[in-house]
Amino acid sequence: MSTQVVELRKVTKKIRSKTIIDDISFNVYTGEVFGFLGPNGAGKTTTIRMIVGLMEMSSGDIVINGKSIKTDFEDAVRHVGAIVENPEMYKFMSGYKNLVHYSRMYKGISKEKIDEVVKLVGLEGRINEKVKTYSLGMRQRLGIAQSLLHDPKVLILDEPTNGLDPAGIREIRDYIRKLAKERDMAVIVSSHLLSEMEMMCDRIGIIQHGKLKDVQLIEDFVGTQSQVYKIEISNADQIVAKMRASFSAWEIELVNQDLLINCKKEDIPEIIKWCVEEGVAVYGAAKAARTLEDRFLEVTSDKKGEPANV
Amino acid sequence: MFNLIRNEWMKLFSRPATYVMTGLIVLAVIAATVITLFISSLGEEQSDNWQSQLQAENAQLEQTIENGEEWFAGQDPEEQLAINQYALDNNIPPNDMNTVWTYLENSTFLISIIGLFAIIVASGIVAGEFSWGTIKLLMIRPIARWKILLSKFITVGAFGLFLVAITAVLSVILGFIFFDPGSSVRLVFEDGQIVEKSMAAYIVRVYLFNSIDVIMLTTMAFMISAVFRSSSLAIGISLFLLFVGGTATGFIAVYYDWAKYSLFANTNLSLYEMNMPLVEGMTMQFSIIMILIYFSVFMTLAFTIFTKRDIAS
Ligand SMILES: Nc1ncnc2c1ncn2[C@@H]1O[C@H](COP(=O)(O)OP(=O)(O)OP(=O)(O)O)[C@@H](O)[C@H]1O
Ligand SMILES: [Mg+2]
Repeated sequence: MSTQVVELRKVTKKIRSKTIIDDISFNVYTGEVFGFLGPNGAGKTTTIRMIVGLMEMSSGDIVINGKSIKTDFEDAVRHVGAIVENPEMYKFMSGYKNLVHYSRMYKGISKEKIDEVVKLVGLEGRINEKVKTYSLGMRQRLGIAQSLLHDPKVLILDEPTNGLDPAGIREIRDYIRKLAKERDMAVIVSSHLLSEMEMMCDRIGIIQHGKLKDVQLIEDFVGTQSQVYKIEISNADQIVAKMRASFSAWEIELVNQDLLINCKKEDIPEIIKWCVEEGVAVYGAAKAARTLEDRFLEVTSDKKGEPANV
Repeated sequence: MFNLIRNEWMKLFSRPATYVMTGLIVLAVIAATVITLFISSLGEEQSDNWQSQLQAENAQLEQTIENGEEWFAGQDPEEQLAINQYALDNNIPPNDMNTVWTYLENSTFLISIIGLFAIIVASGIVAGEFSWGTIKLLMIRPIARWKILLSKFITVGAFGLFLVAITAVLSVILGFIFFDPGSSVRLVFEDGQIVEKSMAAYIVRVYLFNSIDVIMLTTMAFMISAVFRSSSLAIGISLFLLFVGGTATGFIAVYYDWAKYSLFANTNLSLYEMNMPLVEGMTMQFSIIMILIYFSVFMTLAFTIFTKRDIAS
């Protein structure tokens, strides 16, 4: 049922011989929310700029709804609504005039349509005031309103919750999900806030230093695949070396006098048995819920285990 | 395209600066009227009998011809004498300071003010989108970049014409209120005889000739705005050239022939009407071609660079 609407094929961007985006490929389907996740400076905004044709790619291609943004810019971008970085609007005009301005750049957007998006983002009360009087959150809403005017098939939002309060974040999250599900839009959302990705995305792609590290379903990403169990024992610091020697297959970490072991559920009894034989008191063994945050840092940190640098 | 121009016009007229410029133009027209009224009031007493004045001038002209001296600004004294005689014979009073024609002819400085405002608008119309950050949301629409740029260029032109229209209408109204209608006939010496020409057409041509350099500078400001995305750079360079370009070119032309290829050596087409080319051998065709070359260079630069370059920042 869901079809592919956005396709990045080996997209590379070099600026003055510096590779900013390195051979990125991924697809986005209708009806899904795709999270584009990465630390500051990873290249999220640059990738988005290339998708909407603001920047040319050095090599590769981006196809939207079957049309290449390179060779068929107008037909490709017709299906895209976007916010790139901060939604800067004409501050000296009212929010409504800003929307009229953008609506004139498409065929057949009616007044009713403008009113509809204004209502959707909840700006009815202030829409006739100048944008310079708006708060950051209101500007963000106006940004979303302008991106929806032409009923795009693809919605691209670069850090849409930037500057919103928790209620605002929740609201935006809700209608992003709604747009994807009810209107069958493909939504690409970039963020470095993992917690909110977890709640609104179906899939996420992790980008770092311009490389796409991983694309996964959100459940898989946070899920079982590499489960960690926390074992509380006495004298953990003394026993850990011996334990590592005995169970070389698992990663064993010592955190605050507890052991974090990455293994399967079935392995737990064996570990407990071993502890008992070694005369170590076992106080508890439990699944340590790994957050997206941990996974994210794990994926983005270098092999040596250094934290991701900016 | 029409919608794009409407958008630009809406943005232009949503800013107070645009209204300030429009207001200043109105004030400038009024100032021109007041100044001309003041000047003509100084010379009032001599101007009651134009026939005796012309006769006095003719006496002077005959003297000049006899002595083989030069008359004003390259004019041929014999032609002037013939024109004056024709005016006396056919009872056509020359337009003095009190006539609407002289008033209009003396108001050409208004073109520089309109040009100044056109340059300001041209400098900001592209660069502004970059400094406001609105360029991103503007360029992700299903519209080719060159169309957006063209709509902006047309808008600058339309704004210039808008100011011209205000100036023209107001000048003519004030002119006919405060000045004598004068004679709408202009006498010129052509192919050995006197011809009666339309004064109105002459005034329009004077204004057109005076507009060439500001039109070119506005185009250049637009180009700088589109290429360098900086309105201060565009305003700075263009205004500098507006004020010193012509004079500097005049100086250079005294010493170097190549000055004839510079923009300002070619923008003053009235020099050819007066038979005083800036550099020996320059012709009106040459200047028109140079103007067209400069115009196409500015346009090509603006359009190729604006449509190619990444929008990053
Ligand atoms: N015009 C440019 N010239 C040179 N380098 C650039 C340019 N634009 C971006 N970069 C570099 O490209 C990298 C990616 O930047 P980008 O803005 O895409 O990151 P981001 O993932 O959006 O970060 P953030 O989370 O801070 O928004 C950065 O290292 C940045 O310095
Ligand atoms: Mg960014």
